[in-house]
Amino acid sequence: MNFKDMINEQGICILEESDKKQALLKLIECAVNQGAVHQEKTRELTERIFHREGLMSTGIGIGIAIPHVRYEGVKKPLIVMGIQPRGVPGYAAIDDQPVQLVVMIIMGKNQHREYIDLLSHVVRFLKSDEIKNKLLQAQNAKDAYNLIKGA
Amino acid sequence: MVEWFNSIVNSISVSHLNVLIILGLALFGGTIGGKLFQKIKVPQVVGYIAIGIIIGQNLLHLVPLSVVKKFEPFNYFALGLISFMIGGELKLSALKKYGKQFISILFFEALGAFFFVSILVFIIGMFLLHNLVVSLVMALLLGSMSAATAAAGTTDVLWEYKTRGPLTSMLLGVVALDDILALFLFAVFSSISTMFLGVRGGNVLNELGGLGYELGAAVIVGGGSGYVLARLLRTFLDENKTLTFSIGAILLVLGLSVALKIDMLLSSMIMGILITNIAPIRSKEVFKLLDRVATPIYVLFFVLVGTSLNLGGINVVIGVLIVVYLIGRTAGKMIGARLGGLLSKAVPTVSKYLPLCLFSQSGVAIGLAILAQQRFPENIGGTVIVIITATTFLVQLIGPPFIKQAVVKAGETGLNITQDDLIKTIKTGEVLSKKSPLIAENTSLKKILAIFSRNDELYYPVVDKKKHLQGIISIDSIKETLMAQELSDFLLAHDIMEPPVTTCTATTPLTEAEDIMDHYHVDYLPVIKEDNVTEGVVERRGIQRYVATRLLDVENKTRSLG
Repeated sequence: MNFKDMINEQGICILEESDKKQALLKLIECAVNQGAVHQEKTRELTERIFHREGLMSTGIGIGIAIPHVRYEGVKKPLIVMGIQPRGVPGYAAIDDQPVQLVVMIIMGKNQHREYIDLLSHVVRFLKSDEIKNKLLQAQNAKDAYNLIKGA
Repeated sequence: MVEWFNSIVNSISVSHLNVLIILGLALFGGTIGGKLFQKIKVPQVVGYIAIGIIIGQNLLHLVPLSVVKKFEPFNYFALGLISFMIGGELKLSALKKYGKQFISILFFEALGAFFFVSILVFIIGMFLLHNLVVSLVMALLLGSMSAATAAAGTTDVLWEYKTRGPLTSMLLGVVALDDILALFLFAVFSSISTMFLGVRGGNVLNELGGLGYELGAAVIVGGGSGYVLARLLRTFLDENKTLTFSIGAILLVLGLSVALKIDMLLSSMIMGILITNIAPIRSKEVFKLLDRVATPIYVLFFVLVGTSLNLGGINVVIGVLIVVYLIGRTAGKMIGARLGGLLSKAVPTVSKYLPLCLFSQSGVAIGLAILAQQRFPENIGGTVIVIITATTFLVQLIGPPFIKQAVVKAGETGLNITQDDLIKTIKTGEVLSKKSPLIAENTSLKKILAIFSRNDELYYPVVDKKKHLQGIISIDSIKETLMAQELSDFLLAHDIMEPPVTTCTATTPLTEAEDIMDHYHVDYLPVIKEDNVTEGVVERRGIQRYVATRLLDVENKTRSLG
């Protein structure tokens, strides 16, 4: 299970939002549309995502954030990604820099090992400046998707 | 053909049938009576006798005395069997094992009862009966019987409270062996008594000579037969022959003793003593086999004893003697045990509490009373058996509570336990490590690693601000993160915890907690309060360690008792 295999074109969106809450909600909407959880469980997913953010920001620095959740309500493990080249201010990332790439990881309750692997894989993948910069220049989801697949 | 059949039918007379009905009644009724008495912790033998009293001459008159007389040879056999088996209890190795202290306490408590009962009964007897010989004989007989302490009513209390320690060992030893002292006292003093009563006639020298002959011949007959039996048992190993030879040997010894006019019970007891000591392993099997066939014989025997008892003879004198006997026996045993303990420098708990443990009385005293009844005139034998039966009933009711108090005060309860017994008494909350921390959801991986390195547990509960359980972090969940160094700055307890499978409370019995773990195939169980506040996690190895520590405590406590 890795980032490249799990992401798909529909799971990538170029974000217009420039505030943390709106950006996360947009990604949650995207995840629900992709079938991560049942439609009626949207609220629970939202609560979980924001609960985790409340514990500590998932902004890991250098413009990247990885909001993530793992619980029994998840129907299908999923990654969605939001790109905001101007950056989302107020994300409270470790280095206080605006977040440009938001990768949301949603996993099932018993996927502890895959979850950690995937988190680790995503971090390593995006920490490469070259890929990150190319992604930020992508005009649409298709470009971004091809970029990831080709990397 | 028809004539032959008719002659058979005619030969079965009504009186024969009655004997069979009596036997059946005695066995059924006796067994039921025994069970009923056992429920109130009175030895079954008292129940057998009670049934005999009910169906006998006192109440229902179902069994005429003439019929009871027909059973005399059977009664001898039953008594011979009882004596033989009692003899089998006297293992010289046991005497050696318990040592000096034990011998001292044993002799003081048994002889204490003997002297107190003898003296008190003699004085009161003289006062009430104005007959020197009858008072003296009754005093000596009751005194000898009072030395015995019953295992029944004693061991079941010890077992129930799982006791262990010096008091328990001493009590078990004393109870096992003071019967033998009672038997010897009885053998000697009943012989002397027949001399006083002039049953045999002749002068004192002749009497003493007769006594010497009786004891000597009993030793020769019993010992010789025991030796021959032991040799035979070495040759014939199968169970049927073992049993048949043993019963045959008992019957032969009894018959020889009758022919030689010596004490048949002393002879068969000596045979029992001999084979248990010269052929300890084979004789163990002999006693086991006899024990198996003995029950119906005992039941029948004691029921018949009950039928022959004449309760019409109970009067104020016997009532007073019952009280005197109880006082003398209790005081004698208490003072004797205390003195024996102090003189032999026994540990304080033994000197202090053993005196409270020796009230039980049963089989041996009753058996001896029955011998007395057969050997002595009704005014002595009948009185003795009524006194012993009544006092057995009474002490078996009051004895066990005293033993319980003694072992509790001596601190010996709950020490004779296995791991399984112990676990059954523990609640999950006791196992919880007080030091083991709860991990907050937002604790960083670095801090979690520090917690793991500082503490001994393999599982930690992850809680929210209200301390409600959110998940569990195990050494396994940590292991996954070791390969993901880049995450160490931002992974939190919340990210790596696993959802709890199930929970229990501090009051959940430990056995139940273990069952839950088995059911869910986990090695830990979170413990939460009723308001969902998390108390901690119990681990299987923590449980094992706790139980091992507790067992060690029990061992140490037992050792500290001396």
